[in-house]
Amino acid sequence: MMRRIVLALSLLFFCGAVKGQNNYAASQIPKDLLPYASAIVRNDERTIEIKDLDNVTCHVKKAVTVLNKNGDDIAHMAIFYNKSISVKYIKGVAYDEFGKMIAKFGERDFSDEATGDRGTLFQDYRVKHYIPSITQYPYTIEYEYELKHKQTLDIEDWEPLNESNMAVEKSSYKLTCKPDFNIRYKEVNISQKAEISSTKDGLKTYSWQIKDIKALKNEPFSPNWRTYLTRVIVAPEKFSYYGIQGSYTNWEQLGKWQYDKLLANRQSVPEETAAYIKEITSNLNDPKLKARKVYEYMQHKTHYVSIQIGIGGYQPFSASEVDKDGYGDCKALCNYTKALLQVAGIESYYCIVYGNHREKIGMMPDFASMQGNHVILCLPFKNDTTWLECTSQQIPFGFLSDFTDDRLVLACTPEGGKLMHTPKYSSEENLEKRNADFALNEEGELTGRMHTIFKGTDYNDREDIIDDALTEQIKRIKKCYPINNMEIKKLEYKQDKSINPSTSENIELSAKEYAALNNGKIYFSLNSVNRAQPLRQLVTRINPVCINRGFTEVDDITYTLPKGYHLESEPLKKHIDKPYGSFIMTMSMDGDKLIYHRTFQLRDGNYSKDIYPDMVDFFQSVVDTDEYNVVLSKQ
Amino acid sequence: MQKPLLFLIVLFISATAFAQDFSYGEPDVAALDMKKYDKDTAAHAVVLREHGTSRINITNDYHVRLVFEYHSKIKFFDNKEFEREGTFVIPVYNSDGMAYEEVEDVKGVTFYKDENGVIQKAELDPQKIIMEKRDKHYTLVKFTMPALRSGCTIEVSYRFITPYFRTFHPWHFQGYIPKVYSEYEAHIPALWSFNASLRGSLKLTKNTASIESKCFTFGAGSADCSDLVYGMSDIPAFKPEDYMTAEKNYKSAVYFELEEETDLQTGAKTKYAKEWKDIDYDLKTERWFGGQLKRSGLMKDRIAPIIAGKTDQMEKAEIIYNYIRSTIKWNEDEDFGSEDGIRQALVNHTGNAGDINLALVTALNAGGIPTEAVLLSTREHGNINKLYPAIGDFNYVVARATIGDKSYLVDATEPLLPFGMLPMRCLNDQGRVFSLNKPSFWIDLSTNQRENITYALDLTLQDDGKMKGTITRFSIGYSGYLRRKEIKKFNSVNEYVESIAEKLRKTKVVKSDIINIDSLDKPVGETYEVEMNIFDNLKHDHLSFSPFLLNQLTTNPFKLAERDFPVDWGMPSDERYIINVHLPQHYVLENPPQAMAIAMPNKGGNFFTAFDGDSQNFSFSYDTRFNKSVYSPEEYPYLKELYNKIILAQKNEFVFKKK
Repeated sequence: MMRRIVLALSLLFFCGAVKGQNNYAASQIPKDLLPYASAIVRNDERTIEIKDLDNVTCHVKKAVTVLNKNGDDIAHMAIFYNKSISVKYIKGVAYDEFGKMIAKFGERDFSDEATGDRGTLFQDYRVKHYIPSITQYPYTIEYEYELKHKQTLDIEDWEPLNESNMAVEKSSYKLTCKPDFNIRYKEVNISQKAEISSTKDGLKTYSWQIKDIKALKNEPFSPNWRTYLTRVIVAPEKFSYYGIQGSYTNWEQLGKWQYDKLLANRQSVPEETAAYIKEITSNLNDPKLKARKVYEYMQHKTHYVSIQIGIGGYQPFSASEVDKDGYGDCKALCNYTKALLQVAGIESYYCIVYGNHREKIGMMPDFASMQGNHVILCLPFKNDTTWLECTSQQIPFGFLSDFTDDRLVLACTPEGGKLMHTPKYSSEENLEKRNADFALNEEGELTGRMHTIFKGTDYNDREDIIDDALTEQIKRIKKCYPINNMEIKKLEYKQDKSINPSTSENIELSAKEYAALNNGKIYFSLNSVNRAQPLRQLVTRINPVCINRGFTEVDDITYTLPKGYHLESEPLKKHIDKPYGSFIMTMSMDGDKLIYHRTFQLRDGNYSKDIYPDMVDFFQSVVDTDEYNVVLSKQ
Repeated sequence: MQKPLLFLIVLFISATAFAQDFSYGEPDVAALDMKKYDKDTAAHAVVLREHGTSRINITNDYHVRLVFEYHSKIKFFDNKEFEREGTFVIPVYNSDGMAYEEVEDVKGVTFYKDENGVIQKAELDPQKIIMEKRDKHYTLVKFTMPALRSGCTIEVSYRFITPYFRTFHPWHFQGYIPKVYSEYEAHIPALWSFNASLRGSLKLTKNTASIESKCFTFGAGSADCSDLVYGMSDIPAFKPEDYMTAEKNYKSAVYFELEEETDLQTGAKTKYAKEWKDIDYDLKTERWFGGQLKRSGLMKDRIAPIIAGKTDQMEKAEIIYNYIRSTIKWNEDEDFGSEDGIRQALVNHTGNAGDINLALVTALNAGGIPTEAVLLSTREHGNINKLYPAIGDFNYVVARATIGDKSYLVDATEPLLPFGMLPMRCLNDQGRVFSLNKPSFWIDLSTNQRENITYALDLTLQDDGKMKGTITRFSIGYSGYLRRKEIKKFNSVNEYVESIAEKLRKTKVVKSDIINIDSLDKPVGETYEVEMNIFDNLKHDHLSFSPFLLNQLTTNPFKLAERDFPVDWGMPSDERYIINVHLPQHYVLENPPQAMAIAMPNKGGNFFTAFDGDSQNFSFSYDTRFNKSVYSPEEYPYLKELYNKIILAQKNEFVFKKK
């Protein structure tokens, strides 16, 4: 008994001795954090202190243990800054596997670079970054830096885990401000709510913390991480932004402020342009036709250039500047289009959106803050709201692609901001419909024509190819269709640029040795034009299934068979119907014609994770059917 | 071997070379009315005319400068090339805030027809020229032309001034859009002489030289200049092809390499690169190259303890190789010289390819293994010219160790590469062997390495329609390296196996075993015990089964009817596939396949299949070999056809018939 107490005491004492000194030995990492992680965030402490409307200190202390080479990127420190953010200091220490210090580094070791690729004309942000070069794994990097922000509109969110390949042992976020400084916050997927208290100096503090977040596993058809991972978004009620002050607690006020301070009075256009706009629209009565005319003029006259200056990247260039230069970013081009529409007497809203091709991320209806990354225009026609994407010279009037469809956006109007929902393209509307008429001869050569129409968000499927010269188009289309030895005799595209646009593709082709001949039999693939890819099977599924965008594919192919040949086995038929999709395949003979039909549909929606194995089987059946080989023999 | 696409330019000396820049800023009605370019009707834009002049000048305070003047005029038929051809980015070197290079007099003008058909002019606003401080070495001068619209023409001109006149400005005739005419004028004072070489397959349409007297004066002295003019008309757009090496190898351009310099004050001549022995001497004496190779003392201290007691040369070499690659991490920079010396690299544990491999050469020599440095140019960097010695063509170095009567090429930048194998980036034609005591010489970089994979499947059809058995894959040679890299992308072998299992269709992996992951000299062996759900049940009279369960090809990777450039795979490859099938008593194989064999001419490659066994227990195998690293455009049709035959062969299925 006595011995045990002594031991306990000495342990206590021992612990007391090492307190204050972090132990980053890799062996201390909880074992259940290791799967799918190449690096472990041992501790991430963020302290935001709002001292004044134009004075915010952000202090970060972070330690990452890198387990193997794949985790080096996570230890790659990158600190972004711009005119309104200054870097106060950066310092750090590297430890070996056992937590023993091996190196120290400081700001002089960091290289300072412009951000954005070479194509970006200008990007306000710069980055200071440093890659420690340690050849022995595991190792730990601990670093600390402080930034001073001169604005309070955009306060850094807390996202303890937002990338794959890493796990988090401990992360915390603390915000300090004066007691009368009001902040709003939104907690998403949080288990422990904010702890609100006061410091001894009478400052108010909000703090959050989380422990042991496992690494994400990459799973097909996963929902966006924002829907299931912990985060906190913070917005002060009163703020200052590049010297402009404001306050908001809801979308209406935030939209109003943006309209009044960043947009109003930036729409004047030179007289000649205004006169020309009036001239081309005056004989039209329908406002929508007028708008189309103005939009086409804008498309002809401008092009998109990535250039992020203005007030911290939120204020557009003035319309007169765009009129003169003929280029601008999304904000500038939307503002210019808005200005031209105004001349034609058409009202439009400048709308902030989060553009993303893969995932639909909308503004949070119950929490207003700066959440967008792109701007589009809304024309509030009575019962016929129309939307315009202003950064493309090709996109049809009134068509939003998969970049901005079906999500909440913030319209900034003189009356205030309001949330609006962009149109959705349904599983039926996203259509790829194909008709082909082929003939197969006794040598195995395939000839014929194929016509495909792409609608809904599939309208854009051939956009890259359409831009190319014919010889390049042919090179690329050969990669789209798995028809071996395909030679293109004719390739033609047409686009219907109406509000519900479509792209049509016309191909005349031939393919030598498409079929294999063996022992007097002919073997060929029934479907070489549109094959599904198998869905990866998973040992365990963690996330629910989310089909973000549905689609429908319809293929009808007629094969005229060589004389005297017939099908060796019964024609195949397949019909599968699931809540999330369906597949129909039929084969039939009509004289010397083999008629093949295929419909494959995937329906958007959220489904339970339990359906995933069934989905894998569904896809596999589709793949198997798509790979069906026809065997012909002679009578 | 591919056709050399590099020619020394032979000059035609004439009394007067007439070349001159075209006038700037005049509206060109004919160009504005042009609807398409006749020689390439699909072009979105065409360079109507392009002119460049480079001149070696001297400033008042006796600094020699190269002044490059650029002027071009482009017609846009539609809006597709605005981003690439309407935006300009000029990198300017200025280290740590000290301006070394400068761009001045940037001018730009756009002409277009407005809505009423009236010609309008929009000038580039100097305020809209952005100077982006990219990093501590470079500033990018960026601008986009104003008022671009379909049908417009633009003109741009600027002057670029650099103190690095010895790297004489090259001229790129060919670009991604066609050009009607492109011309370059080089004014070179007689104090310097350069070798000029033309790359690419296009011919110069103008090539003249004349003497300009006393064009270069310094104090009381002066020199005449050679005025060289190179012109090319009707230049087609460059079209890259798949599996080709660096575009630079094939794009038409003229490059210059300094041959000799005469000192302004003393008149003494310095040969820059006339013969290899000059280069050998320079390299030997350069601190960043030969200087590092002499640091055997530095290495001996570190090497001695780890090879103490070892007598086998090979064993010692591998220990030293392991020491270097585990001590210095490659920072992804390709260079053949050391950045801050190998001592610094050893201390900081980081370095470029020069630091690492010069340290390796020195360490191996210090360990008693005779080793030389091999300079080379990586695949991305382009081919080396063989017309005249030019140090500027190299960008990488590896080691060549001699053990017994064999020599090994070694690169310590990649931790997973076994001793004696080079990474793909280095497999580019020839390298030049340098040592401190012998003249340099060329060697082929094609080592004996191959990509080599063998699959072995052994499957038994069960009564419930499942197939049970094993899938084995051996990744040999360079394939072993690639497989290890793939495995190391995962945090554990289990996670790797999981990813393999997820990709095998209708298959459950019951057990797995992977051997030799860390024995870099041996093949990586993967064995998976599997259950495949191929048939729903065994109620059918006929079951069809494709023996090509893994890696079945459905379309030919080569789509073009013919190629302009060689297919360069870097090394030969082999793939072998054997499947053993065991059927239950009541099934027999109905259609045993015929063996087939197809070969390319001159042993370029082959594909053959073989069948063995009876109707219930049989084995089927195929073997694909590509024996060459590079296939010329003439060999291309055979390569394409071989793939065709493989695809056809893979369409055949086995039919299992119920007895």
